[in-house]
Amino acid sequence: MARTRNRRRRRGQLGALPLTSMIDVVFLLLVFFLVTANFAQKESKLPAALQTEGGGVRSSDLQPQIIQISVVNGQSIYTIGQVQCSDRASLESVLQQLPRDAGVAIKADPDVPVQSIATALQAARNAGFSRRSYVPSDSGE
Amino acid sequence: MLSVDLTPMIDVVFQLIIFFMFTSQFGEIRRSEIDLPREQGEEEPIPQQPAMIIDLTADGQYLFESKPMSLLEIERIAASGLASASDASPFDVLVRPDRNAPAVHLDRLLLRLSNVGVQRWKLATVEQGEQ
Repeated sequence: MARTRNRRRRRGQLGALPLTSMIDVVFLLLVFFLVTANFAQKESKLPAALQTEGGGVRSSDLQPQIIQISVVNGQSIYTIGQVQCSDRASLESVLQQLPRDAGVAIKADPDVPVQSIATALQAARNAGFSRRSYVPSDSGE
Repeated sequence: MLSVDLTPMIDVVFQLIIFFMFTSQFGEIRRSEIDLPREQGEEEPIPQQPAMIIDLTADGQYLFESKPMSLLEIERIAASGLASASDASPFDVLVRPDRNAPAVHLDRLLLRLSNVGVQRWKLATVEQGEQ
């Protein structure tokens, strides 16, 4: 009984909490965090050098491994020399057996989706190639 | 003693904070909504803001700062960017292509860039939904 009286007295001293303005602030905070969370899109990058066909060999006399990407029946095929792979895991295991000093060059047929280029770059990166380049082909400009 | 009512002051301060955060954010948002290739990407030792961001839509349209641009205009912007680049702030290009865009559009863009003298580029990817 004494406690409740105490509490009541304290409330009387402080005055009622202004709820409206508090809700105002809380809503502002909520909106702010919603908006910023939306903007923070997780994006990463795959760096690569840019080479042109017949553009000469830059900074190295070694010939890089060439991954040629083509599309057969709607599926991307990665060709390294004589070996053909159709997914990243097998491409990665093939690349891991190759020497890495000369780097890797990636070429793609015109109808290859960009996703496959990204897959090849990622496989080369995962296989430990630090020198990766992409060779854009000049077809029908 | 005159008591200052804090609540409206906090209200105003929050409004100001939000306003400034928004305006500073929008200066950096040069990216539009694009279905990027789904790959893990590479960890950057020092994250750096690319000098030029070019978006490529699935139907082969090039966007620079969310505005459609022709290859010629992009080439011109890259050339002037390269001219003002230095060792301390190298000119790096980030390409954000749609994952289903055909390579021919990417090739055209990269050929133009390499003609101007761009030697390195970065492909934007998203980590989610890794294959």
